[in-house]
Amino acid sequence: MDLNETSEESAFRAEARAWLEANVPTSPLPSFDTEEGFALHRVWEKKLYEGRWSAVSWPVEYGGRGADYIKWLIFEEEYYRAGAPGRVNQNGIFLLGPTIMEVGSEEQKEKFLPSMASSEIVWGQAWSEPNAGSDLAGIRSKATRDGDDWILNGQKIWASRAVWADWCFGIFRTDPTADRHRGLTFILCPLDLPGITVRPIAQLDGDTGFAEIFFDDVRVPVANTLGEENKGWNVAMATAGFERGVSLRSPARFSEAVIRLIHLWRTYADPTDTALSDAVTDVWMQAEGYRLHTYQTVTGMLEGRPIGAEASLNKIFWSEMDVRIHEIALQILGPEAERMEGPFERWVDGFLFSLSGPIYAGTNEIQRNIIADRVLQLPKGM
Amino acid sequence: MKFSFTEDQRLFASGLRDLLANECTPAHVREAWEHHTGHLPELWSRLAEMGVLSMLVPESAGGMGGTLLDAILLFQELGRAGVPGPVLEHMAVAAPALANTSWGPSLVDGSQIATLWVDNSPYVAHAQVADLVLRNDAVITGFSSTDVHGLDGGRQLFTISGGTETSASAGVFGLPASDVMALASAAYLIGASERMIEVAAEYARQREQFGKPIGSFQAVKHLMSDALLKVEFAKAPTYRAAWSASTGAETAVRDISMAKALASEAAYRASRSTMQVHGGIGYTWEADLQLWMKKSWALMRAYGDATFHRRRVGASVLSK
Repeated sequence: MDLNETSEESAFRAEARAWLEANVPTSPLPSFDTEEGFALHRVWEKKLYEGRWSAVSWPVEYGGRGADYIKWLIFEEEYYRAGAPGRVNQNGIFLLGPTIMEVGSEEQKEKFLPSMASSEIVWGQAWSEPNAGSDLAGIRSKATRDGDDWILNGQKIWASRAVWADWCFGIFRTDPTADRHRGLTFILCPLDLPGITVRPIAQLDGDTGFAEIFFDDVRVPVANTLGEENKGWNVAMATAGFERGVSLRSPARFSEAVIRLIHLWRTYADPTDTALSDAVTDVWMQAEGYRLHTYQTVTGMLEGRPIGAEASLNKIFWSEMDVRIHEIALQILGPEAERMEGPFERWVDGFLFSLSGPIYAGTNEIQRNIIADRVLQLPKGM
Repeated sequence: MKFSFTEDQRLFASGLRDLLANECTPAHVREAWEHHTGHLPELWSRLAEMGVLSMLVPESAGGMGGTLLDAILLFQELGRAGVPGPVLEHMAVAAPALANTSWGPSLVDGSQIATLWVDNSPYVAHAQVADLVLRNDAVITGFSSTDVHGLDGGRQLFTISGGTETSASAGVFGLPASDVMALASAAYLIGASERMIEVAAEYARQREQFGKPIGSFQAVKHLMSDALLKVEFAKAPTYRAAWSASTGAETAVRDISMAKALASEAAYRASRSTMQVHGGIGYTWEADLQLWMKKSWALMRAYGDATFHRRRVGASVLSK
């Protein structure tokens, strides 16, 4: 164990810091869940790509730096420290990209990865359906083979970024006679094809961060299949495992939020209120604990111990921590916490967004079931 | 940056786990309780032979020359087995602190037993079986002890009086004894928590109600998952604290406090949830669960409880 950075890691950190200090927009961009904000975030992603910072852990040939997971964490720390914009193509770069690298064909890698790294193509995700939420294997949207094409029909919902995204990825039922978890296929689909209707859904904060997608005889080439036909569940679970495990919410996001919370506490709170100072200390420990836990996980991955079902622990931990951080901030803000706009709007909006964390990417109740079944080896059942 | 243990560190810990699986079963722990000594002499000898008791004693004084980082997984294994007696006090503080005194050799080979009297408690754990008590500034021998009836049969509590004092220092590795004990206890509590969760998971797989194993019910699954969550997220902070203490990091005391606060709360949560999963049997003397529950309830308060340690962390991170 050596928790000091190597000189190479420190040099990498310094390089990232210098680039970010020179390039991060001086005033925050509008939310990427607005049309204007989405466009500005795409411009920012292109700039990141040109500096080779958009996908640091990817191989150099696809626009990355071949950085290991430790360096990826260091980059994330610098990124949040710099107050840089949210990642509008997160679904692509952190979820789909690694999956394509794992199961995609050479042709697919060349076609999709560089345009993803540069955000020339921004990706939305299309997992859930009106009747397949927590019970994701209940997917009914179909892909029917017709020569070299799939014909897609059905409806997806809660499709993140889909309102302004260029392409989406999702799973479709291709063998209606197979078991629920079989007969599904992972398909990549442009969102501007005939037969596609995207209907924005306003979130709790009023922005349209997700959408419904209706597929009505949409024709896509069979070449857009990712992984094997009828093995889409396995491909999707590889993505979901990585999402829950490490990449979706890197620790730096919370460490930075807690630094802002401590600043808020120092500026506005009554320091003799020990219940409040205990609460602030507690979330500092949570953020620090999540950071340490992630470094331990990532070291294990580098040493050949891949992350398994225990990834679900991470998802519960960070999502509940995020809610707690914002609850405490709103408690400190008092009457200001009632305003959607004003000097503290980031905390109020952040609170609303934090409430989605225990729901998206598999509800925390589903994660608890996964931990009980696969880590604690309790019997299956509801 | 590398957050993992060496092969040697892992192998030593798994060797200790194997030893304890045979030599410190729940039946052995009950035996220590029933003798009202809270101590297992045979096990003590085996721990001395294996080098566990002298892990932190310098090689020049006949010990293993390990660091707190080398010892942290051993503390955790001791907790998994619920090892009774003054093993943490002897191993983590007394033996290394007194290594270069006339007591050194007998503490290394385990022929004499040492325990601690830390500043924040009127009581001395394990005094009845101890040959000497190390206080902050002195070694006390030839004392008489009065049983004050500790909750944990493997950690009997006493007041002591009389005896001869010899000046000595209980500080080790540049840290006060109570902080080294807070670190060792944090790891012990993590091991005890893991074991409680394993025992309850096994019970939930076997016990049937409504025609099904109770572990198939979500209410039970979620109790168990939440208990595991707290334990898993106390581990990395505890290992980091051991690294900080071993390397003399400026943040060592803060890091130890973070570990003890998190491990104490994790152990309490584990004790509550696993007892609940056991139902009525969890409230009996017969269920082995009490061996780790009571140890948890004792150690979560010893050497500073979660509130004390959280406030020490707060004093460090909230100040400008």
